[in-house]
Amino acid sequence: MLVAWVVVIAIGGLLVWVTQHNARWYHEPIVQVTQVQARPGTTVEDDFHNQDVQTKQVLTARVLNGQYAGKTLTLNNVYSRSKAMDQRYRVDSQLFVTLHHHHGDLSGTVKDLKRDGPLVLMLWVVVGLLLLIMQFSGFMAFLSVALNGVLFLLAIFLNGSTQGARVLWIFGSLAIVFAALTLWLVLGTTRQMLITLMTTLGGTALALLIALLVFHFTHEKGMYYEAMEYVTQLPRPLFLAETLLGSLGAVMDESTDIISSLFALKRERPELSAAQVFKSGRQIGSTIMGSLINVLFFIFVADTFPMGILYLRNGNSWGYTFAMNMSMGVVQSLISGIGIVLAVPLASFLASRLMTKKVTL
Amino acid sequence: MSTITVLGLVLLLLMALVGGKAGIQSFLALILNFGLLFLAMVLVAFQFPALTVTLVVGLLVLALTIFMSSGDDLSSTVAFIASAIVLVGLILVIVPVEHWAMAQGFGPEDSEDLEGLSVLVGVSFTQVAIATAILSTLGAIAEAAMAIAAGLGEILEQHPQVDTKSLLRDGIDVGKQIIGTTFNTLFFGFFGGFLALFIWFTGVHYSFGEILNDKVFVAEILMILFAMVSVILTVPITTWVMARAVAGQRRHQAAVMTKKDDRK
Repeated sequence: MLVAWVVVIAIGGLLVWVTQHNARWYHEPIVQVTQVQARPGTTVEDDFHNQDVQTKQVLTARVLNGQYAGKTLTLNNVYSRSKAMDQRYRVDSQLFVTLHHHHGDLSGTVKDLKRDGPLVLMLWVVVGLLLLIMQFSGFMAFLSVALNGVLFLLAIFLNGSTQGARVLWIFGSLAIVFAALTLWLVLGTTRQMLITLMTTLGGTALALLIALLVFHFTHEKGMYYEAMEYVTQLPRPLFLAETLLGSLGAVMDESTDIISSLFALKRERPELSAAQVFKSGRQIGSTIMGSLINVLFFIFVADTFPMGILYLRNGNSWGYTFAMNMSMGVVQSLISGIGIVLAVPLASFLASRLMTKKVTL
Repeated sequence: MSTITVLGLVLLLLMALVGGKAGIQSFLALILNFGLLFLAMVLVAFQFPALTVTLVVGLLVLALTIFMSSGDDLSSTVAFIASAIVLVGLILVIVPVEHWAMAQGFGPEDSEDLEGLSVLVGVSFTQVAIATAILSTLGAIAEAAMAIAAGLGEILEQHPQVDTKSLLRDGIDVGKQIIGTTFNTLFFGFFGGFLALFIWFTGVHYSFGEILNDKVFVAEILMILFAMVSVILTVPITTWVMARAVAGQRRHQAAVMTKKDDRK
């Protein structure tokens, strides 16, 4: 056991070492900071009396790749105390730069920090902990997430090649494939898997349908599509696709829990009637639904934290800050919540009616 | 009425129909959690230290979520203590990684949203990024801790004399059952939110290397990875806390028994 931990930590160290020495893999010029000189900071104040301190750094850096590898140059960088859009670089920071070569003089401007190191480290921490603590089940969990990730990428390329005209169709069909694949990995092709799949798809679809009805009758009052971030195509279908994907995992999680408990229950006590099974399903479901809605709520809404703080510091009211940042996340959480709650009776009903035949055999 | 109000009422109605009193209670917990999250945002905007605010609000959210859902006393208490330990452990992971990745604040992709806003506001966005990562995992930590504690509580009910060593193994077994579906909840939850960003990347033709080092991309992926780490850690930690609690109870019972014997 100790050996396994040592091996995992050693591989992690090696991976991080590689990310610090892989500049050759990149086409963009990368430099490593060798010396930092800071100039005295100046206090700045904006229209809302927010005070900040801006500091100029003069960086001496060595080029790591490309035709100028090994050459040294100086770079200028300005950072603020809040660092919302800028960075304070340190010795050994690796940076992407744009190089200018002018009459034998090498100069450059900093573009961004190289961040593959922390990314690879955290990815390895997740994989390593999964394998060390959960062994085979951990591996399967990772495999299913990785496969879904690949499918997700393919769907995004497909969406790009159709200019986003069919985003809801693409991600709607993707949701069906996602659910079928994931459940197949966990349960195999069994009756239990089929019932879980029906519940997952049914619950998610019903929730979206209810949402569309509510949208229709309230004329989407209080929904600000312009508040969505990074939108490059028609926002409404994109929002629905986001909500659909977002709730799918949680609905699947819950359906799996309820239905596997009901199958176990029926195996132990085959004499239970369909009505009794339905009742226990409802009981199991209502204990877990609240915490699952909570999981999604925090994922959807916490993401808007930095922008919300910026809005408040820029003299906006609480109401406007909520509307422009959190309202869409809250709508998403509510729709997912409806899906999660609807999955409880759906799972209990389908399980109580459909599983009897096989189990009593 | 606004869409949010109507959707909220529909959710309340459904939760009441399906879960009865417990359903209404879960709905209330949800509203209170929203209030706490908003309060945290306002406090940080008023320049209270982000990490302290997050820690206090985080503990309140965990307590609220765990104690307001139905569960027996032992497993609720165990779930709360375990999730608090995970929360502190998570901070120890997040703080150095965020300082290293410098993925705080906003990237070039945000420039349209930032139009007309001053970004030199004197609030440390490194602290805000750490707070955001912690807050986004709170729900997942609470859920995992409750699931493990409830599973172990059931095992204890059926086999009250189970020894501590096999209890530890049972905890990992319960964890193995939930880890796959929990990971999918996290994956879909986060990727649903990132859909627009990912479409952006393909539309603007970023190179693979550019995406891997992009500030916004790294910030979002780190958030998923932190959430996954915290869920994995919740499994052994909850099991360990449960084993300690059970051992403590047994010692207490044994002491009471010997006292009774003495009196005889």
